[in-house]
Amino acid sequence: MVLDRNHCYVAVNKAYEKVVMRDREELIGRNLFDLFPNDGESGQRLRQSFDRVIETGEADTLAYIPYDIPRPPELGGGMEQRYWTAVHTPVSGKAGAGRYVMQNTVDVTDIVRLRQAASLPFRRAETQLLERAREAEEQHKALMSESAEFRRLFQLAPGFFAVLTGPDHVFTFANDAYMRLVGERQLIGRTVREALPEVSGQGIMDLLDEVYRTGTQYQAEARRVMIRNVESGELQETYLDFSYDAIRDTKGNITGVFVQGSDRSEDVKRQHRQRLLLAELNHRVKNTLASVQSIVAQTLRSAPDPATARKDIGARLAALSKAHNLLSAQEWASTDLAEIIGQEVAVFDPERISLDGPRFTLSPKASISFAMLVHELSTNAVKYGALSTDSGTVAVQWKEEPDGNLKLIWRESGGPPATEPAGKGFGARLIESIVSGEFGGAFNPSFCERGFSCIVTIEADKLRGVKVQT
Amino acid sequence: MKTDMRKPMSILVVEDESLIAMNLEMILEDLGHSVIGPVMTLRDLEQMLEGDFRADAAILDVNIAGEHIFPYARRLADLGVPLLFASGYGASGISEDLAHHPVVPKPYTEEEIAGMLDTMLPA
Repeated sequence: MVLDRNHCYVAVNKAYEKVVMRDREELIGRNLFDLFPNDGESGQRLRQSFDRVIETGEADTLAYIPYDIPRPPELGGGMEQRYWTAVHTPVSGKAGAGRYVMQNTVDVTDIVRLRQAASLPFRRAETQLLERAREAEEQHKALMSESAEFRRLFQLAPGFFAVLTGPDHVFTFANDAYMRLVGERQLIGRTVREALPEVSGQGIMDLLDEVYRTGTQYQAEARRVMIRNVESGELQETYLDFSYDAIRDTKGNITGVFVQGSDRSEDVKRQHRQRLLLAELNHRVKNTLASVQSIVAQTLRSAPDPATARKDIGARLAALSKAHNLLSAQEWASTDLAEIIGQEVAVFDPERISLDGPRFTLSPKASISFAMLVHELSTNAVKYGALSTDSGTVAVQWKEEPDGNLKLIWRESGGPPATEPAGKGFGARLIESIVSGEFGGAFNPSFCERGFSCIVTIEADKLRGVKVQT
Repeated sequence: MKTDMRKPMSILVVEDESLIAMNLEMILEDLGHSVIGPVMTLRDLEQMLEGDFRADAAILDVNIAGEHIFPYARRLADLGVPLLFASGYGASGISEDLAHHPVVPKPYTEEEIAGMLDTMLPA
């Protein structure tokens, strides 16, 4: 007889009609388990066997199964004790119609009854045969559940696994990790060349052919393989550890290739990022040392005496260091202008120095440069300007102008009158270099009766670190 | 010092950090040379190279505001200007086709710069 996937009869023959005591009209289109209900272990085993066949497409055997069936009323009603063996074979329907199960069953009740009687010596051979069938069934069940367990473990394993069969390398198994690696594409039943056309040109086919031909294992470590992303259609760089092992049949002939491995892409990319980061760190350390060297050399040259030089060097290095602190806190991405200025003038009485301006983001480079610029302005105010007296004040204002420039005004008052120095010191040259050299801006100082003031004008995008067309 | 006996040269300096540029400028002036620049942005360098540019040598920072100096270094080399790279990355950071030019690692001293200029411009 033949069942569909819902266990409904699709076809029966005369022998089956006779053995179950039902006509085909009573069977076709009806569910087997409605007609022959069994809530016990046997019912479960029969159901599982059908489902296994539907699911795996492989034949399944029940060597021995007790299964009672109802006796039709005209034959006296009630249940009749029966024993069976059954072979279940998959049957393919028309294209797209799914699978059916064909059952070839034999009613072995009489043999069992004889065995139960067990007194008739000439029946011994038959009862032994049945006993062996029963053992075979037990073994078969154990094997099936074991291989199902293995299959499940492979299916969910973090590494990728695939089984390729035959000289053309047809996929017969691929676990979840393998599917994730290549994207959700149809693999089973297709050759590697068909299923993964993009890897065929990357030397992979030669490797598989070689393993299939010679049986020698192939191993790769962090091999670069380009795999097409099924969704975006783009080739993606992956780094894979993998091995190919020949699969042999019981006679030792090679029947396929076992593929296993793991995706190392994240590791390799992380190492790559780390190398870049180290090179960048090295570059920054070297540049910072060069800046320190410059501060020392030039302060020593311009200072009137060693004590002043020591103090000035210390203060300039501290300014550089504080800017690094702010950048470090922001993971070296950016800082806010108010914070850079505020940090530099924090040592002064807030009554004496006022800050007024909107949030404005500085690139790392602009952060360091502005910290040095503000340091030189405030040092100057302390030495010669408004902060050299008890009551002078400094007002710092900034805003972004409609023309795209950032305009920063530093205005001192209440101190001694400002006079333009004869030559340019280190501070003045540094400010000039930062404003016009680094950022192409303008620095306009003014020395008045009321005190020193200056206007710094720089294109805002350059300070933010936005790439501008050169 | 040998360099003191040389005739003064005009040396192009490309360096995007003020402190470092000022130090190099001071070193070169102490050695008796005159400095073209320091040029601190690639935009300014581009403008400079568009005109009738000449220099006896060029000292180039490798990374200018996050961009490589190499395209400009090639143009300078084509003009016959002897090149010296100054780099925190060391010699490994130089593009292959320019790797035959000398490199001075940062931070550098006046003696190192003087020595490098000597080897670049034999008497």
